[in-house]
Amino acid sequence: MELSESVQRGLQSLADPSLFDLSSFPVLVDVSFRSLLSSHADSGILDQPELKHIDQIVLKQSHAAATTFILEAVKQNADKSTISSCLEEITFSAERIEIFHSAYQKHKKELEHLLASIGRRPPHITDVSWRLQYHMKNGHVHKVNEPFYLISLNVENGDSGGSSEDISFSCTMEQLQDLVGKLKDAAKSLEKATQM
Amino acid sequence: MEEVDKILIHALRQVGTEVSDDVQSVKQFTSELIVEAVVRCVRVIDPGLGGGLPASLPPGMSARFRVGMSLAQACQDLGYKGEIGYQTFLYSNEPEIRSLLMFLVEKLPRESAEASDQPAGKSVVLQRAISAAIKAQLALPWLPPNCRLPLLCETQSPGPLHAFHTQSLSLAHNVKCPEKKHFKGMPLTARIFDYQRDILPPVTAQASHHASVAASILEQHMAELSATQEWENEWNSQGLLSRLTPQDYRSRKLTRLQKRIEEQLRSAALLCPESAIGANRSNSDLSELLQSFRGTAPTDHLLTKGTHFTHTQKFTFTQETAAAASPMPSGRQSEGDVQVRQQEELATLQQQLQQLCLDVDQLTTDMKQMNVTTAQVWDELKKRELGNSEMEERMRVKKKTIDLLPDGESNLVKLQALVEGSAKRVVNLASQWEKHRAPLIDEHRRLKELCSNQDRESSRKLSEIKDLHVKIREAAEEAKKKEGLYKQLITELENLPQDVSRSAYTLRILEIVGNIKKQKEDITKILSDTKELQKEINSLTGKLDRTFAVTDELVFKDAKKDESVRKSYKYLAALHENCSQLIQTIEDTGTILREIRDLEEQIETENGNKTVANLERILEDYKAIRQENSALAAKVREG
Repeated sequence: MELSESVQRGLQSLADPSLFDLSSFPVLVDVSFRSLLSSHADSGILDQPELKHIDQIVLKQSHAAATTFILEAVKQNADKSTISSCLEEITFSAERIEIFHSAYQKHKKELEHLLASIGRRPPHITDVSWRLQYHMKNGHVHKVNEPFYLISLNVENGDSGGSSEDISFSCTMEQLQDLVGKLKDAAKSLEKATQM
Repeated sequence: MEEVDKILIHALRQVGTEVSDDVQSVKQFTSELIVEAVVRCVRVIDPGLGGGLPASLPPGMSARFRVGMSLAQACQDLGYKGEIGYQTFLYSNEPEIRSLLMFLVEKLPRESAEASDQPAGKSVVLQRAISAAIKAQLALPWLPPNCRLPLLCETQSPGPLHAFHTQSLSLAHNVKCPEKKHFKGMPLTARIFDYQRDILPPVTAQASHHASVAASILEQHMAELSATQEWENEWNSQGLLSRLTPQDYRSRKLTRLQKRIEEQLRSAALLCPESAIGANRSNSDLSELLQSFRGTAPTDHLLTKGTHFTHTQKFTFTQETAAAASPMPSGRQSEGDVQVRQQEELATLQQQLQQLCLDVDQLTTDMKQMNVTTAQVWDELKKRELGNSEMEERMRVKKKTIDLLPDGESNLVKLQALVEGSAKRVVNLASQWEKHRAPLIDEHRRLKELCSNQDRESSRKLSEIKDLHVKIREAAEEAKKKEGLYKQLITELENLPQDVSRSAYTLRILEIVGNIKKQKEDITKILSDTKELQKEINSLTGKLDRTFAVTDELVFKDAKKDESVRKSYKYLAALHENCSQLIQTIEDTGTILREIRDLEEQIETENGNKTVANLERILEDYKAIRQENSALAAKVREG
């Protein structure tokens, strides 16, 4: 795991027993996790009684470094050995690594959700209803006599919690065949992607 | 044989043959399975050869025959030496199929095993992880939203999403450079410190939308990382060669870039043809911009120029505002009146403004012209003054010459003496100078040499340092790669099926090798025994021959004298002949026995091959094909 210079500096001050003693270290770690996971921004999150005696600049640096480190670790799905080797390099003691790691394990799932919620995702097709219609004639042509399909895809949208309007369209037989072929192709390439 | 079969089945499964779990040995293979296995092996060994082969047996007899023949041909093309025909596949017998499969499995390429030794890159690892995740998600069934368990919720209804949106964050950091700038009585750094200590919110509270906090932090980190990487690249490629400290290098680059930007902007501003005011304005903007680039070190030239133009600009601007401010409503009049008046006033004022602008322009141009003329006049003045002083000098010399004229002779002598004295002094000084100069030049040369030596040394060290850098990076990369490979191999090892126990195989192989050794020893023992026996027989035969010869001679000598001895001689000859006949018979019996044994073995193998049954089957096949053919012929005739 690569860390930038500012993050390394912040973590080094976090590892320094003269700056963060054993009562304030767990508080800062906890605060870092909470500030990432809380649903609203709280600018007063660093105003903890245990952190009063620490210089605010150092505190803010360490907080920024800790949050960055946490997010990077979750992003790379780091396991315990990676995290501890990385923290050992920045002179964390074994005790502090243990404290950090237990907090990390506790919040990892939520953080994964947090990271997974960044981005967008097209709606999922969950069901389909169809109707075959027959186009006999129209105002311009006396005899058309073509079948066509009315397709309505029931979709589930992740954004709005599972409910959304359906997608409806009509298509000719060739278009429908094309669509089915494309879907089959997609399924096949998905299968192929699993056999790496 | 069991283990051989297991290995064979394992290899066949790897090739892609679907061998069901209850098939444990080659004996249980059906014709279809054999054909599929052989076809898959051939396809892997030689895709061109196996491409045209169908993986399953067709129903028709003649088609089956054709498939069998082509398979046999393919196997022979691959170099299989044993007996093979279409019946091998259709009416299999165990040993033949086993030897064929062993041959094919041995022929299988082993690249896959070697390829896994290569360290997989990051992307490969990532792709594998992705494919594993897709596989896991495909294995889960889809459920309607109401029935989802928490496990499924994770992948099938991931909750609300936030678009990727980042914001730049400001981090608290130590301001090191002690700048002399003061702001409202306090040093700027102290101000920054105060701001960072008391006002700057923590990073997680800086983003305007809380949802973008994670993305912003990650982006910030990535940006820092890539910036350091880029700097390192540049430093290693160019910075080290310039032999400057990093700070010097940076500042030099900064000034260079500033100059470049300035030039570019200037040339761009000159190129675009605009009205006078517009050009002035853009010029003033440009100079301001340039000043802001320079930050702490503005040049005087730019400053004066900038102020000049800003003054004109300010002037026009205040005029405008004044013009806009003056037409305020002065009384209660009808709106139309007011409007008309206002418009008139506006028009007049605009006219005034234009007039003033024109005046200002003219004045500016006048001023410029004046400036130019002033400079020209100054130049001329200076020139004149110079000429003046020159003239004065000349006049003084002439005056002195005139003063000296009356007493010409003596003065000339004096002057000559003076000139001679000065010439001597000059020579003297020159010799002294030479005396001083030689050691100084030597010193200079010495120092120069030293300097170049040091230069060379430093460049050598520089290249060494560069080499070391490269080596360090390489080593680090290697270590990282090795670590990654180690991890990957460990995961692979964990994922591997544990049923194939390697140590058991090796033990088994060692045992077999031991057995073979023992057998070999036995064989050599028997061979040596046989040789000994042969020797004994030979020696005995020789002895017999000699004894017989001696006896024969003795008896023959006596036989001339005595009738009974002659008889005994005859008996002796007969005995000898009979014995040799006997030996011959025994030997013949031995060879015949051996032949019998060989033949029995052959019969056994033939019996094992089920030749008769196979022949019958082949005959039946032949009949079936003939029937099919006749049916086809009948159809053709009918048609």
